[in-house]
Amino acid sequence: MARTVQKKQGWIGWLFFSDMWSGLRLTLRYMFSKTVTHQYPDHEKWLPYSRHRGHHFIKTNEQGDVNCVGCELCAKICPCDCITVVPYEDEKGNRRPKVFDINLSRCLYCGLCEDACPADAIKLGQEYEVASTNTGALVVHLEDLIAAPRKAEEGAGTVIPASLKKNGSAKTTPQDNVKGHDWWQLIRREK
Amino acid sequence: MENLYAILPILIKVAVVVAVLLLLPLPLVWLERKIAGHIQQRPGPMRVGWHGLLQPVADGIKLLIKEDHIPSDADRFLFKIAPVVALVPPFVVFVAIPFGEPVEVFGTQLMLSLSNMNVGLLFILAISGIGIFGIILAGWASNSKYSVLGSLRAIAQMISYEIPMAFSVIGVVMLSNSMNMMDIVSAQKNLWNVVYQPIGFFVFFVSGLAEAQRIPFDLPEAEGDLGAGYHTEYSGIRFSLFMLSEYLVVVFLGFLNVILFFGGWHGAPPFVPETVWLLLKVAFFIWVFMWFRFTFPRYRYDQLMAIGWKVLLPLALLNILISGLFMF
Ligand code: SF4
Ligand code: SF4
Repeated sequence: MARTVQKKQGWIGWLFFSDMWSGLRLTLRYMFSKTVTHQYPDHEKWLPYSRHRGHHFIKTNEQGDVNCVGCELCAKICPCDCITVVPYEDEKGNRRPKVFDINLSRCLYCGLCEDACPADAIKLGQEYEVASTNTGALVVHLEDLIAAPRKAEEGAGTVIPASLKKNGSAKTTPQDNVKGHDWWQLIRREK
Repeated sequence: MENLYAILPILIKVAVVVAVLLLLPLPLVWLERKIAGHIQQRPGPMRVGWHGLLQPVADGIKLLIKEDHIPSDADRFLFKIAPVVALVPPFVVFVAIPFGEPVEVFGTQLMLSLSNMNVGLLFILAISGIGIFGIILAGWASNSKYSVLGSLRAIAQMISYEIPMAFSVIGVVMLSNSMNMMDIVSAQKNLWNVVYQPIGFFVFFVSGLAEAQRIPFDLPEAEGDLGAGYHTEYSGIRFSLFMLSEYLVVVFLGFLNVILFFGGWHGAPPFVPETVWLLLKVAFFIWVFMWFRFTFPRYRYDQLMAIGWKVLLPLALLNILISGLFMF
């Protein structure tokens, strides 16, 4: 944000429009500064910070089992009532979810499920392109959740070149092996 | 046959000027949106064509195929002709504007203006004063409070600013001893008028902004308080005619500023044709107008009137006095 310093303006300054000139100088500098708009979804994509709350994912342990113990605490705390958990006992004798559905069209991405989970299982990841023309596709199941993108680590908070693939899904795929730029630094601020 | 040959160059010139003027708003709209964007650190239109260059074309098509709505209580005849009436004067003023020295084409002298009137300046001022009629008609015929208030404001503003504008060019006329635009330009061969007439230029520039109803003097179409002013009720093609005439007024003001105060086509760097140099200067002024637009807020209405009558008019008179003293 531009903060203008209150300068004392004498009558000479008043006569020669010093305030208008400083306004014009400000906008001129802005006119030739870099723009900060993300060219999303055509040419760029923003990688969210790791604190970003996006599409959920479920962690798995070394044995390849999901961390979730089917306690249904997340389903209980969810303010939107959009998690369905049906527990069962697997062959190892552990309590695991048989059904784990999240209705993303109802979810408000509050992250309470993540907070409530005692088993470090459900997390909110970096994926944010969940738009779809079919609300049925927005109910994601256990296998989708296991496969979903994790929290962003490398390059978090940067904008990288990407392109929009027009194959039905509204997803912008980032280019591989390209470092993004920290767009936040580009914003011109008055010192 | 003889007559036909005499008239042919004029017809061609008219066709060229009209075609260029009709197409000019397209790049100007693009430029304006780009400047607005970059001042606000965004790129402006980017998706249609290279850097959004085709965006105005897309907008134009959209405007053309939109419903042409006429309010039920409107005066249908006046409502329909108002945009056309508003469009005519900005075209007509270009009759008197020269684009360069006469050139030799096929052994004949070709004037680079539609008409080399000896009262060109007077003609231009008179016609640009008529431009208000379209606005009056539009505001009245719409039968809407916003429109009528917008057009009332426009009328009052026009009257207040036409006078300082006309007075400010008197200094120029005194220096060149002529109202002919060609003579005015050639009188500035050595030194541009802006050096002799800084006050005159200032008054002319500010009242020109007010004439074109651009920020900071765009009270007639103040979005905040009047919707869109006199063209609130217009849509589709009729609205685009108003837009067209507004952009043409801006172009024509750029021309007037350059021809009267910035030496017309004189002072070109080597290898730049005179006409191109003139157009570059005009483009610079258009850019300045747009830059102003996205920098300043608008004046309050009483401030607008006070500036016109209490500041600009005395300044213009002072300018005449000083010019007279120097010439004496
Ligand atoms: S983020 Fe909030 S709304 Fe979404 S599933 Fe978790 S608890 Fe429910
Ligand atoms: S995800 Fe966590 S809170 Fe939800 S049922 Fe599984 S273990 Fe319980």
